[in-house]
Amino acid sequence: MKRIPYFPGCGLKDQARGFELAALAAMERLGYELAELPRWNCCGTVYSLASDDLMRHLAPIRNLIRVQELGESRLVTLCSMCFGTLKRSAQFVEEDSERLATINAFMDEEDDYQGGVEVLHLLAVLRDEVGYEAIEEAVERPLEGLKVAPYYGCMLLRPRGLGVDDPDHPRVMEELLSALGAEVVDHPYKVECCGSYLTAGRADVVEARVAAIAGAAVQRGADLIATSCPLCQFNLDTRLSQAAGRRGTPSIPSVYFTQLLALALGADPHLGEQAIDPRPVLAARGFLSEVRG
Amino acid sequence: MAHELRLTGERLTGELVAKVEELSGENLYACFQCGKCSAGCLFADHMDLLPSQVLRLVQLGDEDVLSAQAPWVCASCLACAVRCPKGVDIAKVMEAIRLISLRKGEPHLSPRALAKEERLPQIALVGAFRKMTP
Repeated sequence: MKRIPYFPGCGLKDQARGFELAALAAMERLGYELAELPRWNCCGTVYSLASDDLMRHLAPIRNLIRVQELGESRLVTLCSMCFGTLKRSAQFVEEDSERLATINAFMDEEDDYQGGVEVLHLLAVLRDEVGYEAIEEAVERPLEGLKVAPYYGCMLLRPRGLGVDDPDHPRVMEELLSALGAEVVDHPYKVECCGSYLTAGRADVVEARVAAIAGAAVQRGADLIATSCPLCQFNLDTRLSQAAGRRGTPSIPSVYFTQLLALALGADPHLGEQAIDPRPVLAARGFLSEVRG
Repeated sequence: MAHELRLTGERLTGELVAKVEELSGENLYACFQCGKCSAGCLFADHMDLLPSQVLRLVQLGDEDVLSAQAPWVCASCLACAVRCPKGVDIAKVMEAIRLISLRKGEPHLSPRALAKEERLPQIALVGAFRKMTP
């Protein structure tokens, strides 16, 4: 069993339990232990875009120090927002030693961060380390006949060079879904933002966004949308369900990509948290009777 | 938003331009107003100024831009940043404008506005309050 330090973040311990539990179960079947980082703290959720806001980088850097304390050099995340803040803060101090020195000087209890911790998203680990061939071989229940629309959102892909894939034409989720046997449904909104944190205060804006995304997926015949972020998932699921009933609002369930991975590998997908329940469509396609824990 | 432009040399060398350039780290005058950021912005139809117009007003040193709602509707999704042909990270310019008012102590989100919400995830609350409160 290979071991990779893993950063869960707040969502995966609360409303996105299924995202984490499905990932842990699926990765175990692929021979990987996602080892939860000791004493992790909030990543800060949103990366500061200001040139001078060093305080905002403390939380992510402190997590990277925890990785360093383990004698490890990489950290894997599941949540796209955590991925964005951790990865970008790591880069922010990597490119300017003065910034890093100031941040290190501010923290009394920790050892200095030396740099060099690589932040990875699980989708990249599945692609680059596990490999799609090994995943295909491990599939017990191919998702044949299941039409899945991938949804990337923003922080998984942007900014250019730091995301897991090309920001305009990503393939990583499509390739994973294909390896699982699912039919990939392409749609024009897969890299377009769901409204993110505007969901607190501007639910109207988010509802318009998710209606457009879901509408594109429904129009192309998708059964499900696959996500990689608890905030995208909340918006595409809870906010979409709240907008339901208004004229023209589409309805389609969203699940985390780890839940589809678990399902295909014969592990428990930990479904049941969604406001728009994915289980009826999965049962109708014949996928739920064969799940075991 | 109808807007009267008043051009003066003083504005161009004024405090607003310098402040936004410093906070964002971006060269504002690299923008040649092609409008690609506005064309691709998912939130433009909820904004009072298009992203390219926000940038233009900052270029001109027009402080009216500080009272625009557009920067508060920007979700920092970075679609504009990856598409700008001149490499201007407009999301950083939006952040700089937000910070100018946040650093005066002016919040743009109140917990009261969320009173009717049944349950919002922490990821939404932390994200929104970090972006919209001092």
